[in-house]
Amino acid sequence: MSSQDDDKLIEGHDYDGIQELNNPLPKWWMITFFLTIIFAIFYYAYYEILSGPSSDQELATKMQKVEAAQEAAKPSLDKIVASINREELRSDAQMMKKAKKIFKRKCAACHGREGQGMIGPNLTDKYWMHSKGDFKGVLEAIREGFPEKGMQAWKEIIDENQQLYLTEFVLGFQGTNPANPKEPQGELIE
Amino acid sequence: MSLQMDELKTQHYDDKTVVHFLWATLFWGVIAFVVGLLAALQLSYWGFNLNLEWLTFGRVRPLHTNAAIFAFAGNAIFAGIYHSTQRLCRVRMFSDALSKIHFWGWQLIIVSAAITLPLGFSQSKEYAELEWPIDIAITLVWVVFAINFFMTLKNRKEKHMYVALWFYIATIITVAVLHIFNSIEIPVGYLNSYPVYAGIQDALVQWWYGHNAVAFFLTTPFLGLMYYYIPKAANRPVYSYKLSIIHFWALIFIYIWAGPHHLLNTALPDWAQTLGVVFSVMLWAPSWGGMINGILTLRGAWDLLRTDPIIKFLITAVTFYGMSTFEGPLLSIKAVSSLGHYTDWIVAHVHGGTLGWNGFLVFGMIYYLVPKLYQTDLYSKKLATLHFWIGLAGILIYYLSMWAAGITQGLMWRAINEAGQLVYPDFVETVTAIVPLYWVRALGGTLYIIGTIIMLYNLRQTVKASKGLREEKVTAPLTERKKNDHEDKGHRKLEGMMVTFSILSFIAIAVGSAIEIIPILTVNDYAKYEKVIEPFSPLEIAGRDIYIREGCYTCHSQMIRKLDFDVLRFGKASTIEESMYDRPFQWGSKRTGPDLARVGKKYPHLWHYKHMENPRSTVAGSIMPNYPWLLDKKTDFYSLRRKIYVLKSLGVPYADEVVKNADKVAEEQAKIIADELRAQGVNDDKLEQKEVVALIAYLQELGQKPLIRNINLEK
Ligand code: HEC
Ligand code: HEC
Repeated sequence: MSSQDDDKLIEGHDYDGIQELNNPLPKWWMITFFLTIIFAIFYYAYYEILSGPSSDQELATKMQKVEAAQEAAKPSLDKIVASINREELRSDAQMMKKAKKIFKRKCAACHGREGQGMIGPNLTDKYWMHSKGDFKGVLEAIREGFPEKGMQAWKEIIDENQQLYLTEFVLGFQGTNPANPKEPQGELIE
Repeated sequence: MSLQMDELKTQHYDDKTVVHFLWATLFWGVIAFVVGLLAALQLSYWGFNLNLEWLTFGRVRPLHTNAAIFAFAGNAIFAGIYHSTQRLCRVRMFSDALSKIHFWGWQLIIVSAAITLPLGFSQSKEYAELEWPIDIAITLVWVVFAINFFMTLKNRKEKHMYVALWFYIATIITVAVLHIFNSIEIPVGYLNSYPVYAGIQDALVQWWYGHNAVAFFLTTPFLGLMYYYIPKAANRPVYSYKLSIIHFWALIFIYIWAGPHHLLNTALPDWAQTLGVVFSVMLWAPSWGGMINGILTLRGAWDLLRTDPIIKFLITAVTFYGMSTFEGPLLSIKAVSSLGHYTDWIVAHVHGGTLGWNGFLVFGMIYYLVPKLYQTDLYSKKLATLHFWIGLAGILIYYLSMWAAGITQGLMWRAINEAGQLVYPDFVETVTAIVPLYWVRALGGTLYIIGTIIMLYNLRQTVKASKGLREEKVTAPLTERKKNDHEDKGHRKLEGMMVTFSILSFIAIAVGSAIEIIPILTVNDYAKYEKVIEPFSPLEIAGRDIYIREGCYTCHSQMIRKLDFDVLRFGKASTIEESMYDRPFQWGSKRTGPDLARVGKKYPHLWHYKHMENPRSTVAGSIMPNYPWLLDKKTDFYSLRRKIYVLKSLGVPYADEVVKNADKVAEEQAKIIADELRAQGVNDDKLEQKEVVALIAYLQELGQKPLIRNINLEK
């Protein structure tokens, strides 16, 4: 920074006792200003005059990557269902307890705490609209949801492994008789 | 010597007005801070919304921002300008009557804001929420202030205008331009209106205004105050006259362009975003020019920083200014914005500026002014020092907690795993993660308020011990304006030419404004489209007006950005057409809750009904307030004809029958939704009349409207 010698008062600059010094613009400050101006010119030229990508193109590139990753990671439902053992699921008390908690937090608002049905259908009766009452059907319902009917897809929100326990938990409602059940919907599946 | 000359000789500065503005600053300051604390607590625990409609977050937040900006900072600016301008011009303010009108008019505006905002009368445009009658009042009072100021300048006995005055000139001109252009609206009732701009136009004009409200209400006038009070308090000359010239002109010219950095990665055309980025980056050095001049003025008197609480406040304020003006350009880089935008990082950024720069500068100025005006010593330097440290701790706690909250949440939003899926798909999870930090922030705010109360006590004791206010005598005999013996050249010459200087300032801010805004307003992008979006039905408009009244936009955006993680979470990126008839636009600036641009049909009506009554009944851990009154209050069907008529006249393609029968059309639609809700178990036979039905109608159509043939094109 400039030395004390620069600190000369400017003659005639006196406003209510305030005086001004004739120090030059600090060099580092000028360089900074200059560099930002050069950055601005190049940045603007690249995106708006030369062939820099538009924001739509940038998004499309990113989405392609994401979609490719999704495609590669897609599990086959049949494979999952074939590989599980429902007894084993049920015997893992800790995971089942967690499933119960998830149901309370994410599902009960529509299906009722005891699965008795409210906004969504009753899950304790033998009447099913989509799921046919089997493991694959319920798992699919949870994973894909019914976005048109007001239930979102949960496959990205609930952990993959946890979905299996949740399915088992939902199937566990069968045969319970909660208070205020919603009237049956769908077809009877024995 | 003639009698007249004698009279003139004993002229006094108008310090009464200064003191009035000072006490008003403190009075409204405390209110603004306390309301801010309430808002902070509401985000920590939803129960602080108290289930009272006029005290929910959506209404409290605009109350806080308006009080802090226009009541606290506004009155402080006026106090400082009235005090320093008279001394810098060595003449009393032009007109005592205008000073009175200015003072009382401004307080009246604040009171009317404090009444109408909690009642839900709001345009939902940030820092411009006040409705049209108040907008007109603001314009009138501002003109009074301008006349009073410029006539004082004209009467000045000092040939040249000191740099502080340059900043005041730029402030007065620009704020007038910003306020008038952003407030062009068509009334639909005594306290309701629709802006003439829609969608993207409204967004651009609003953020041109919003950004420059920060620039020309919270920056330029404060730089002017800095240039007067730091040299006065430190009794040191200003570091560099040359620097003050360069950074003044660079600052006002560049600042005005930077508005689009509030809209990065949105549907705003790329060229406007690019301008926003580059001008924000170029703003860094001119801003720091002010900081350098402020801090280096202390050269040779650094020990004052240890001993004098006034200098402590002033220099710390300038340091915060430097921090904020470094962080601002940083946040304007698109990649950084994609992380910080919509999060609490922005809240941290703003409060570094307001609590640190504006607040501390005002406190320093007040500690300087009160003893001076009352011709006594400050009651206790120790208490002032205590105030400084408590306030500083408050700011740092506030800043760091919100910084951590913002970056944490921003990182959670954008986390995508190898399977191409969001790691935290559940939005509320990203909210509950930062709620503890909301408590920490509230602690920071509390400390800041405690500091302010200590100051009030200190000032009260100071005034009590004094002999009361004594207006200072004008320092020099009021002869003709001082002339210097040699010809001025260059900028020095300009400093003696008030009118030319003002015109040049106007041109400096007009260039950027025109280049950015005129293309978006005049290239009627919409008319080119063969298809336009189907407008909201009358009932949905009624719902939309409720959404605006409740300030849902303070927590919810309606703008899915062109970013992969936004698209994964909320759906297809928002397009310009989707909000093309939105008056005012609802893109929002903060995502305390999820984006709602495509929430339509995501949930059944009943879900929304229960969610509005109590969000925690459907989403555990939600911090959204309850809106039980929406289940009781009746929808205003009556005003719909007028509203739809005004919207049609602004170019929204409604059929004539819809305008004529707007209320009936709305009632029919309400009946359908109400019947559905009743079938699902809602027990209310007057449900169709209730506001919640209109709101649900609106929410369910967000992102659902199809494109239709453009009937304007057929004509
Ligand atoms: C927003 C309300 C809502 C939530 C939350 C919700 N559901 Fe549903 N659910 C529904 C609706 C509505 C249907 C019926 C769709 C239809 O009408 O076709 C349904 C259907 C189902 C079905 C199929 C029933 C059948 O008869 O075939 C299952 C299984 C199910 N949901 C499980 C769940 C689980 C498990 C959760 C929590 C992870 C959940 N739902 C969360 C609304 C919801
Ligand atoms: C204090 C901030 C806040 C305010 C004000 C607020 N919300 Fe919310 N909102 C939230 C949060 C947090 C969530 C996420 C948790 C939840 O679903 O309740 C949310 C969720 C929502 C959702 C569900 C979105 C989804 O995709 O799951 C809707 C719909 C909604 N809010 C509508 C509104 C409306 C309408 C208003 C105004 C009347 C409003 N909100 C006001 C914070 C707020």
